[in-house]
Amino acid sequence: MPRRRSTHRALIAAALLLPLAGCGTDADPSGKPAAALPGASFPYTVDNCGVKTTYQRPPERAVTMNQHVTEIMLALGLEKSLVGTAYLDDRVLPRYQKAYDTVPVVAKEYPSREKLLAADPDFVYGGYASAFDAKDGRTRAELKKSGIDTRLNRENCTKGRTTLDDVYREIEETGRTFGVGDRAEKWIAKARTRVAETERELKGRAPRSVFVYDSGDKTAFTVGGRGIGNELITRAGGRNVFADVDKAFGDATWEQVVARDPEVVVILDYGATSVEQKKRRLLNDPVLRDVPAIKNKRFAVLPLSEMVVGVRAPDAVAKLAPQLAQ
Amino acid sequence: MRSRLRYGAVVTALLAALAAAVIAALGLGSVAIPPGQVVDALLPGAEPSPFRTIIVDVRLPRVILGAAVGAGLAVVGAVLQSLVRNRLADPFLLGISSGASTGAVLVLTLGIGATTAVAMPAGAFAGALGALVLVYALARRGGAMTGARLVLAGVTVSYILTALTTLVLVSSARPEHFREALYWSLGGLGSARWDSVWLPAAVVCAAGPLLFALARPLDLLLVGEEDATVLGLDVARFRAAVFVLVSLITAVLVAASGAVGFIGLMVPHAARLLVGATHRALLPVAALGGALALIVADLAARTLAAPQDIPVGVLTALIGGPLFLWLMRARTERGAAL
Repeated sequence: MPRRRSTHRALIAAALLLPLAGCGTDADPSGKPAAALPGASFPYTVDNCGVKTTYQRPPERAVTMNQHVTEIMLALGLEKSLVGTAYLDDRVLPRYQKAYDTVPVVAKEYPSREKLLAADPDFVYGGYASAFDAKDGRTRAELKKSGIDTRLNRENCTKGRTTLDDVYREIEETGRTFGVGDRAEKWIAKARTRVAETERELKGRAPRSVFVYDSGDKTAFTVGGRGIGNELITRAGGRNVFADVDKAFGDATWEQVVARDPEVVVILDYGATSVEQKKRRLLNDPVLRDVPAIKNKRFAVLPLSEMVVGVRAPDAVAKLAPQLAQ
Repeated sequence: MRSRLRYGAVVTALLAALAAAVIAALGLGSVAIPPGQVVDALLPGAEPSPFRTIIVDVRLPRVILGAAVGAGLAVVGAVLQSLVRNRLADPFLLGISSGASTGAVLVLTLGIGATTAVAMPAGAFAGALGALVLVYALARRGGAMTGARLVLAGVTVSYILTALTTLVLVSSARPEHFREALYWSLGGLGSARWDSVWLPAAVVCAAGPLLFALARPLDLLLVGEEDATVLGLDVARFRAAVFVLVSLITAVLVAASGAVGFIGLMVPHAARLLVGATHRALLPVAALGGALALIVADLAARTLAAPQDIPVGVLTALIGGPLFLWLMRARTERGAAL
């Protein structure tokens, strides 16, 4: 019985989609629908995390899941192309708040498959692999069957280390998908200038050795060499002492933290445990008392919501650099 | 006479192995330290250095916690197996670890307390006590506490509390809480520090002789409840009292290390294979074996993937399981029943 019902639903959906498809062809008799837009060139084919998609025209009804990809869309001025957002980590950047408020929130966290389909999207943009979770029937393949194109943030499928180039490429590909490649280029140029400024200021200084504390008592849950966190620290004039751990995150033993002698602790800020609680935990640990960073109380703070392949990355570098240098 | 000789040999061998394991656990780790430096660091009046901190403040308390938790879990497991007359019993069967998890997860998701290092063990202990009270009340309701009632009450409370933990985690919906809760529940000795390791160590040192003194009534229970009653043991009261005692021990251990699995199930069985089921012989061997097993497993946990730490509970099951199967097979091949 459930199976039959789902067949019905698929038939109804197909019936509804048919006239829509007809409209699409009527609208662009020239075959070059979006050529008039600056920065647009269609058809645009992109290979994103192993899913190859050819866009004949920009998506018009996009839903974003996860804060950092929502912000990428807003940074590109694409709020008019959004019909829904979901899953903020903390809050959207103040400069995008007004635009953000014009878009309905589909769900506080991930929407169920039904909720997502109810928003009637033609494009879903996920920040983390969990956005396309199989358990709730939201995989990219399944959405494709419902006629919905998808994009997953590059961070989830980079080979080797994630760098700022991945941030730039994420913005560029998203921009081109929506026919606003020119805006993406402008944003990237600005970001590059910002990062270059920080680089100039740091010139000639030896990098500070940094231990990133995420959480943990039995082990030190920390940032390894693979993720964007390591890149942000490196660009900000730091040297991650656990860069040799070939993961984005990993559990280090406390004796390794002692042995690697970090000069600064970067505390990742998120969730129920406050920065103050984490600081106290480290300062009260007798094992760490001779570690330079603890002895000299040298702490820096990096909000986890900035440690993303998204528009916050260049700002994160600029904000982290003076904290590491002081 | 022969069996006494054999017992002496087993204990001596275990003591020697334990000494070797302690030396290895102090000398080896995720940071390589030359043997000469290890000895220097342990001598009184040594210069402060990172190596000294690592050996004296990281590894030594970790070894002590491992010995205490390993010995404690093994003895509690052996006692519980007799108490409920079920060879599948282990320290976590009766709801204690589930209660501890619920407490720890509540503290974690609500962000209570000055630091997680203090708050999570405290929450775990409180949760374990809550579970103990619940199981006790359920098992005592409407009659004497039989082994079967105790197991049923324990398993039921376990299920309820596990569901509660999951509910709290799911409604908190922060993915990092899942990870932290999982790591916590898998168990590990990495949080061992001098200012906290004394508690589990003292509890195990005090409880060991106490349980050893109960060896005879435990033997009686193993023979059969009717026989035990005939021989003058108030089985229901004895069971209730011992249940409370071993649950309190387990609560302290779980609060200190999380639920390190398999030691409390496997070590008592291995010890029985070596020295038989009489508690006077069994309990000391179980204690030594438990300490040895956990120290060795923890050494593997912090060296195999260095500089990363593997939750030790994963290794106790992964190494202990096959070892245990092999032991059982060797035993059955010789024609004896477990």
